[in-house]
Amino acid sequence: MHTVPSICAYCGVGCGVGLRVEGGRVIGVEPQAGHPVSQGQLCAKGWSNAYAVDPVGRITTPLVREHGELRPAGWDEALTRVAEALRTSLETYGPLGVGVISCARASNEDNYAAQKFARAVLGTHNIDHCARICHSPSVAGLSRTLGSGAMTNSIADLDEAELILVIGADVTENHAMIGARMLRAQARGARLVVIDPRKTRLARLADMHLQLRLGSNIALLNGLVQIILDNGWENRAFLAKRCEDIEPLSRHLAGITPEQTSRETGVPVEQLIKLARLYSQSKAAFIAYGMGITQFQSGTNNVIAVSNLALVCGQVGRPGTGINPLRGQNNVQGACDMGCLPDVFPGYQKVADASVRAKFADAWGCAMPETPGMTSLGMTKAAAAGQFGCLMILGEDPVQTDPDRNQVAHALAQLDCLVVIEMHLTETAKLADVILPAASFAEKDGTFSNCERRVQRIRRALPPPGQARCDWQILGELARRLGHTGFEWQSAEAVFDEMASLSPIFSAMSYAALDTHHGLQWPCDAEHPQGSPILHQHSFPLGRARLLPVSCVAPAECPDADYPFWFTTHRLHFHYGCGSMTRKSPLLERETPAGLLFIHPADAVRLGLAQHQRVRVSSRRGELITRLELSDDLAPGTLAMPYHFREAPCNLLTNDAQDPITRMPELKACAVALEAVDEQAKEEGAHARRP
Amino acid sequence: MLAAHKLDSPERLRAHLAQGREVQEMRADGQGGWHWQNLAAGDGLPFEPPPRPPLTSAKPLFFAEREALFRFDGGTFYGCLPEIEPKVLFGVSACDLRALAYQDQFFAQDEHYQRRRRQTLLVGYDCGHSCAGGFCTAVGGSPLVNQTQADLILRRNGHGGWTLLVASQAGAEAIAALALPQAPEDWTAERDADLAQVRAEQGAQAEITAGIAAIQAASVEPERWEALGLRCLGCSGCTSVCPTCSCYAPLEQREEGGALLHERVWDSCLYTGFQKEASSHNPAATAGQRVQRFWYHKFGTAFAERFGAYGCVGCGRCDVVCPGSIGAHGVMTRISRP
Repeated sequence: MHTVPSICAYCGVGCGVGLRVEGGRVIGVEPQAGHPVSQGQLCAKGWSNAYAVDPVGRITTPLVREHGELRPAGWDEALTRVAEALRTSLETYGPLGVGVISCARASNEDNYAAQKFARAVLGTHNIDHCARICHSPSVAGLSRTLGSGAMTNSIADLDEAELILVIGADVTENHAMIGARMLRAQARGARLVVIDPRKTRLARLADMHLQLRLGSNIALLNGLVQIILDNGWENRAFLAKRCEDIEPLSRHLAGITPEQTSRETGVPVEQLIKLARLYSQSKAAFIAYGMGITQFQSGTNNVIAVSNLALVCGQVGRPGTGINPLRGQNNVQGACDMGCLPDVFPGYQKVADASVRAKFADAWGCAMPETPGMTSLGMTKAAAAGQFGCLMILGEDPVQTDPDRNQVAHALAQLDCLVVIEMHLTETAKLADVILPAASFAEKDGTFSNCERRVQRIRRALPPPGQARCDWQILGELARRLGHTGFEWQSAEAVFDEMASLSPIFSAMSYAALDTHHGLQWPCDAEHPQGSPILHQHSFPLGRARLLPVSCVAPAECPDADYPFWFTTHRLHFHYGCGSMTRKSPLLERETPAGLLFIHPADAVRLGLAQHQRVRVSSRRGELITRLELSDDLAPGTLAMPYHFREAPCNLLTNDAQDPITRMPELKACAVALEAVDEQAKEEGAHARRP
Repeated sequence: MLAAHKLDSPERLRAHLAQGREVQEMRADGQGGWHWQNLAAGDGLPFEPPPRPPLTSAKPLFFAEREALFRFDGGTFYGCLPEIEPKVLFGVSACDLRALAYQDQFFAQDEHYQRRRRQTLLVGYDCGHSCAGGFCTAVGGSPLVNQTQADLILRRNGHGGWTLLVASQAGAEAIAALALPQAPEDWTAERDADLAQVRAEQGAQAEITAGIAAIQAASVEPERWEALGLRCLGCSGCTSVCPTCSCYAPLEQREEGGALLHERVWDSCLYTGFQKEASSHNPAATAGQRVQRFWYHKFGTAFAERFGAYGCVGCGRCDVVCPGSIGAHGVMTRISRP
């Protein structure tokens, strides 16, 4: 047995793991002692990494569809087919009719290769990934207010915070090692305040819990800022020195009373005033937020409202402070950093900037398209409209994880060719025309970037099973078949070095430097060779930060007579994403029935429903059958479902109303109806309203 | 009385034992961790025990965290007993050896475990100082290797030399060819001094003692267990690193070709599903009940009597690994408060 140091492949915290390898298999995992992020601990998912990469059940050979069925094929046949499909689609639809959805779970090297493939080989900026449905509003919102969309501070700043304010994030379940660090901070004397419509574990352990009404984030945050301004608790020195004029914001908020905020949010006035005082008067206050801010049609404005609160109090740019979005996937930060977004090249260099396009055209030896690219939902909509020929999806499962799954599956079916690079036969992969087998994180070298912008090394612990390969190798081979050079990397390190040479924020990074420092946080350049644990200490990328007035918008769909319940989605500690990795652990799989609907006991009593009763949940978009789990985590009138289970896919119900700025769908709020069903009713009760 | 030899270098002993055996020793990974590692032939690096027990004890070297038990092809069952070459674990601490003795009882009838056990020569190592977080002396253990739990015992003397104690027949045979000289008489006094030193460093450990008393008196209210349960994320970290935890679950998967492979994998009693019955009734339905059960298994009177020792050896790994800060010290402090 030997132990290979690597990084956990689950959430965006980026914990250090040791992969215990024996007999050509990862048989176990242990925490990396002394790791700066995880400090020698792991969550349930972390401890179960070994099952996720088990060769049993993996796709180990290319598969191609023939007469409606997938059959094994050689690499040569499969890649030839993909190359032909891409060529045909480019001829038929032009470069806007092809695209790549990259993967927030793959390495930076894979993601760099994916966007280079889209831009240099396909000649399109149609490149996106699932950040669209987690933190695209963070990127958009914080870019507008500060000029940079990542966590402003580091996880270690929790150790220096006097107040920790968690908004819309179930941290002990989804970012458990950050949650654990928050609890340790509380034990040493920091105050912990949670704003969440659900009474989460952390809310129960916090010093104060503001249980706001679903979708009233902006009303609450605006109300807090107004209380602060009314009492003169704002940080005037910071506002004068670091921010643009506050006048438009204070005019916008003038006249809002705590009573009005309380009515709109359901939070008692005394809690509002207490939090406003605590947050504004703390020496160092750390804000962490999650999907409870971003997954709304007002997602970007929600982020702006968070930013306003922090800026008004000057809680940015110092140790223990900051505006800190907690990112969902192990490398969603990296997929953004690598430019797997339609509007930016690696290192957030803008596609709209002609000099940037010229720089990449020069480096990659081909012209860069000027036409803006489409987001992933844009690409699926174009597919549904019959305007898209070939889509390549790397390691994502939009059929299960995107809103309104019937629409997504329908759209993918309209493609001339769907290519999926995957480890497992996911719901999306089942629809593919060609499936290419991917190596897991344990089978490749590379880097992941965690939510605090720390780029960390993963290391190959064993060879990939069967014929599986790294995504960057697959894309390189495909590029060669399409007549392009510039993809002949011999190692992951070579890919990384090319990326760093073209991206100023990574310019001082190398594998050797990452090894020495337990990872480095960008920007890491000649000026910051040790990386940047804290951003915006002296100035913002925009120069002065902006305080933008925003107003509360109700969710696009609210309960009514037909659909009387609020419906929200969340995650469970034991599962991750579509469950394709966590559900391979017999222990995690045993923890939760496949599909659950959380309901307040008072609602259950009112409707005469019992624990584990079978029920039908329906929305305007679809319906499904699942079982009830009574829990006072929720306020009465609100139902919640985790999205990990293909047996009860809650995204049949969710609304795809979108944030107008980022196209983030409103996954956190819609309206549903509930009824008991016969125990004998067929289990496969899930279906859509529309064909 | 143990036979005691003067040893010029532990590396020479290790090289000698390596003849005909695979050697495993704890080595630093350069990332802050220590792991049991197979040494390559001719490895001459100095023997340097880690400053505290590595996160992974010797447990998985005998009770594998994942191993095939049998294969069923639809007609016949085929056993999957491992073929084990002779090996030596070089430098095992007293706490881990004590835990291994506990596991020996649990797995007495388990041929998978016993095959590995029979082929392994255990070279213990006396701790001269307490590790950070260790509390072996508060739970009936000792920093000194129990002579019934190892084959050879290695110790560093106060004046820099080494002493090797022979604790079993297998140990005596393994070093016979070295013809080591007799050790000076003062080694027993040195051991006593080490024990006193570690006791002093670990202090009274009042919260551990009071916590054990509270558990044995069953005087901890359910609400207090539930408050602890709220801090248990069910990560399985404590049970994975605990050297005496021994629960496992079945994992059955169909192999290519259609045969069914039955493996066993480490389980954790902190999971909700651990004791859930087919009817969905769960005797330990709440997190508080599960945390309580875990600590009863470590310190409850019935278990201590059955195994002749507490199920906790005082290594402190659970304190290190628990994200909810409810390892041994966290729990014992909270349940012993008035």
